[in-house]
Amino acid sequence: MTDLAFSELQRDCLQELINVAMGQASDKLARYLDTFVHLQVPAIALVDAAELPQHFASRYQQQCATLVSLGFFGDSGLRGETIMLYQLDNVGVIAQLLGYSDDSASEAEMLTDISSVLTTTFLNGLAEQLENSFSYAAPRIISSRDDNFGQKLAYSAEQWQLALQVDIRYQLTDFSFDCDMILLIPGEAVLRLRQILDSILADF
Amino acid sequence: MALTALICDDSLLARNQLKKSLPAEFDADIVTASNGMEALAILRSQEVGLVFLDLTMPELDGVGVLEAIKADAMDCLVIVVSADIQPEMQKRVMELGALAFVRKPASAEKLSEVMHKYGLI
Repeated sequence: MTDLAFSELQRDCLQELINVAMGQASDKLARYLDTFVHLQVPAIALVDAAELPQHFASRYQQQCATLVSLGFFGDSGLRGETIMLYQLDNVGVIAQLLGYSDDSASEAEMLTDISSVLTTTFLNGLAEQLENSFSYAAPRIISSRDDNFGQKLAYSAEQWQLALQVDIRYQLTDFSFDCDMILLIPGEAVLRLRQILDSILADF
Repeated sequence: MALTALICDDSLLARNQLKKSLPAEFDADIVTASNGMEALAILRSQEVGLVFLDLTMPELDGVGVLEAIKADAMDCLVIVVSADIQPEMQKRVMELGALAFVRKPASAEKLSEVMHKYGLI
């Protein structure tokens, strides 16, 4: 895992690119929900993908959670997956505000819609700064109400050996609604990403 | 006498990007801070004419810095350079006394335009 580690300069560079992309995504979300999104500095960590199911399970142990996953594919081997995690406690409030009806099919539809607003804006912003362009797979939705939540999570994690975990918390001020975004990038794409970061750093 | 300008951002890349994007004719001594607390310490210990201020930062964020500048009636101009481009945030920083809002990554053209507008170059 150490050979995939980021130098402090690379980490700083990636954090700033993510910060800019996150700002664009938050602006979109704020307009979509007609509210204000409180931005925080994202936490970046290189993790073993095998630990992710455990990580998610313990993080959302006490609550109902839904996870929406979106795969992305860019030029020159850059690819990965974003996972949006929603606590379902306050999903009903948002559903009412946005005019979705109160059933689980509509809830899934709404979370998929919000996820695509957030993740595609975020990823397009990131791709632009990396001078790359991404295409997207169809979103997958997994709810902790599903019996085989853990199994589905494990399947998702299996596809990546190593992952760059970027925890981004979108917190809305007008009403309580937290969602987390996790960006997973496989090992070979981490290497590619490091090369791109180095070329950006060489310009400054 | 050259003006002292402070660049406050938690990212080294962002500080370097900004420094490199400043107009060549801008004659200033540049000092830097990597969070709001450091910025306030500098502002309280030396005369700074212009601040380029990021918003999303650890320790003390840009809004906190603007509030302190306002509360202490410090005599410096602030250009906010941020990725938090929500209209409400832009409105908030302008109300707190910022001179202008520039979205990240700040281009040399935009910085030059803003600095011309306010007679800084």
